[in-house]
Amino acid sequence: MTAPDPSPLSLSGVAFDGRSSRDRAATLDVSGDVAVLRVEGGESHWPLAQVHIDPPVPGVRRVLKFPDGMRFETRDDAGVTALEIRTGRNRALGGVRRLEARWWTALGALALTLAFAWDFVVFGIPALARTAATATPRPVLATFDRETIQFLEGNGYLAPSRLSAARQQQLQAEFRRVVAWAVGDYPYRLLLRDGEPGDAPFQIGANAFALPNGTVVMTDQLVALARSDRELLGVLAHETGHVTGRHGLAGVYQGLGLTLLSVAVTGDLISAGTFAAAVPAALLRNGYSRAAETQADETAGRYLMDEYGTTKPLRDILARLEEDDREADENSVQEGNRAEDLLQTHPGTAQRIRHLREIEARGR
Amino acid sequence: MTDAPPTVPLGRHEQAHRAAAPAEGEASLVAAPTVTTYPMTFTGQAGEYFRSWIVNSALTIVTLGLYLPWARVRQRQYFYGHTWVDGHNFEYTASPLALLRGYLIVGALFLAYSLALNLQFRGWEYVAGVIGLAYVLLYPWLVMKSLRFLAVSTTHRGLRFRHYGKAGGAYAAYGLANLASGLSAGLALPWAWFMQRRYQVENAAYGDARAIFRGDVGNFYVIGLTGLAVAIGGAVLLGVGGFLLVALFAGVLGSLGEDVLDGPVSTTTLVVIGALYLAFLALYAVAWQYVRAATMRYVLNTVEIGGVVRTGATFSPWRLVWIGVSNTVVRVLTLGLATPWAAVRRARYVLDGVQVRAIAPLDDFAASQAPQENALGEAATELLDINLGF
Repeated sequence: MTAPDPSPLSLSGVAFDGRSSRDRAATLDVSGDVAVLRVEGGESHWPLAQVHIDPPVPGVRRVLKFPDGMRFETRDDAGVTALEIRTGRNRALGGVRRLEARWWTALGALALTLAFAWDFVVFGIPALARTAATATPRPVLATFDRETIQFLEGNGYLAPSRLSAARQQQLQAEFRRVVAWAVGDYPYRLLLRDGEPGDAPFQIGANAFALPNGTVVMTDQLVALARSDRELLGVLAHETGHVTGRHGLAGVYQGLGLTLLSVAVTGDLISAGTFAAAVPAALLRNGYSRAAETQADETAGRYLMDEYGTTKPLRDILARLEEDDREADENSVQEGNRAEDLLQTHPGTAQRIRHLREIEARGR
Repeated sequence: MTDAPPTVPLGRHEQAHRAAAPAEGEASLVAAPTVTTYPMTFTGQAGEYFRSWIVNSALTIVTLGLYLPWARVRQRQYFYGHTWVDGHNFEYTASPLALLRGYLIVGALFLAYSLALNLQFRGWEYVAGVIGLAYVLLYPWLVMKSLRFLAVSTTHRGLRFRHYGKAGGAYAAYGLANLASGLSAGLALPWAWFMQRRYQVENAAYGDARAIFRGDVGNFYVIGLTGLAVAIGGAVLLGVGGFLLVALFAGVLGSLGEDVLDGPVSTTTLVVIGALYLAFLALYAVAWQYVRAATMRYVLNTVEIGGVVRTGATFSPWRLVWIGVSNTVVRVLTLGLATPWAAVRRARYVLDGVQVRAIAPLDDFAASQAPQENALGEAATELLDINLGF
């Protein structure tokens, strides 16, 4: 380096020779490109370029290391910082240290972290999950469908339908009409099953759900709950909305993303921290699935408007599902309070009914 | 329980007496070596560390995790650098680049494993199976690598620590012992702790001075049984309390004409169940934190280095339990923002309760030749939560 010689620098501290734990008082003089380390009774000269300066840590002595294993420790932070600037060392971590030194930059980092975390959870994870779901190849979807149905049937959650063959054929034919209407090229199939087999460990009951590759399961109990097939078609259209939106798979990816995130935040897999993270994660998962339900209702609403000019059939069967009462209709559902709303997997039924009414109003 | 720190140093002290033994009356004339106690101190400040922590966390986030090794190294450097003995601090010297390589390898494997489990694509059983099996089989080896890397990355007074642990010992302490404690329904668990702490301490060295572990397995059983007693006693109390509470609620509401116990799950029952769940979680945390704290204290009281130095601990395990549990509560309530404060609070209490007693000056240690260690094991322990016990 041939820069004009800046003012010489003198630092005092202690030195270790790297071979024993004995500390010795020492001084380090830097003039030009040469550093001179003076330890009682001896001195060594080094080109400044060969002296390693450890990055600064707040409140800790600065350390300089020499090629022969000597190290020099000093509390003269300002001096070492000047040396760093002169030699252009530790630019990046020196910058980090400047950010760490002031409260306003630290609070800025806090704001940035919170904003980033919020955006990532609210927009980033769903967007990533959607992208991943769209990019997932069909054979994976097919495996997913097959394995899930195998699991549900193998463990006795689902049993063969008790509906008459004629009724089943009728429903299949109506389902094909919905499928013909739905967008996307999925190998749709409708599985009619008994959702309350006697030996089931858990009763699925009146329900319908869609798997990623277009397998739609509808239980006898739901069929029994419906007063007209229009209601069932509304439900089936809703399920095709889940398929075309790839909600099932996106949900899996979102869960995975949240798990990885909570591991990254709490730093472990199985501990109290994970339990603490489980509650917000569950709430977030709810939020995601509520968005998916709303989107699927949108599809169902469009189908019903196209076919019948009203969304009332879906509203009625939703109300009957909610109240678990065959006599109920859309007006029997009460709005829940906000806390209850937040804890529900699906958007509150009242909310969904309101949404379907809006779709109808829009369609007129 | 031998909670009290040892009062007399050993090593040379004992030898001095033994050498003097033949001439009986003269034994008292042999000057006992003077024991100097050096307290450890921790000088970190919660505010200062908070700034460092949040800045490094933000950098990790905006770099999408690539800065993580630098953040980890810096956080460690802060804690090491603020830990002082006899006027000199510790230093953490790991290279972030070495850690990054390990993080990327371990992270990629972990991601593949999670994807396989969650997606169950064709052949997922093999992907997950191979990674899972490799993890189980390599676990002791990873612990060994981690201990070696951690030791060689720690410097005090210009000398590095070392860990001479071999794979054989690691497979005995972390493979066989864990297997035995699993097969014996936990009966051998304290023995496994003993094996693991002994492996950690016996293979450690400062410079060329080897550490010696003077603990015995019985004390680990005492600690384990105390933890178990706390858990069982607490569970009984909670069970009785919870039952009384439910009965009380049922009685009060029943008199108002509302049937709590027969109806569908009511809000009251949910609240009681939730409270009980949290209480049992806290109980588990208390018992486990006690075991950790008591083990740490016991181990620190049984380490001897180079025959001239002994470490000692005077902190109270129960106080540490309180700090651990209250730290967790505060961290949850502040959504993690109090993490730096909690870490500083714990480090200060623990380190201020640790001493080093020496019968020779602390500057008498010499270096050993330290070979390079790679950081894969270290990355694995950080990302996969391998518990090293401290």
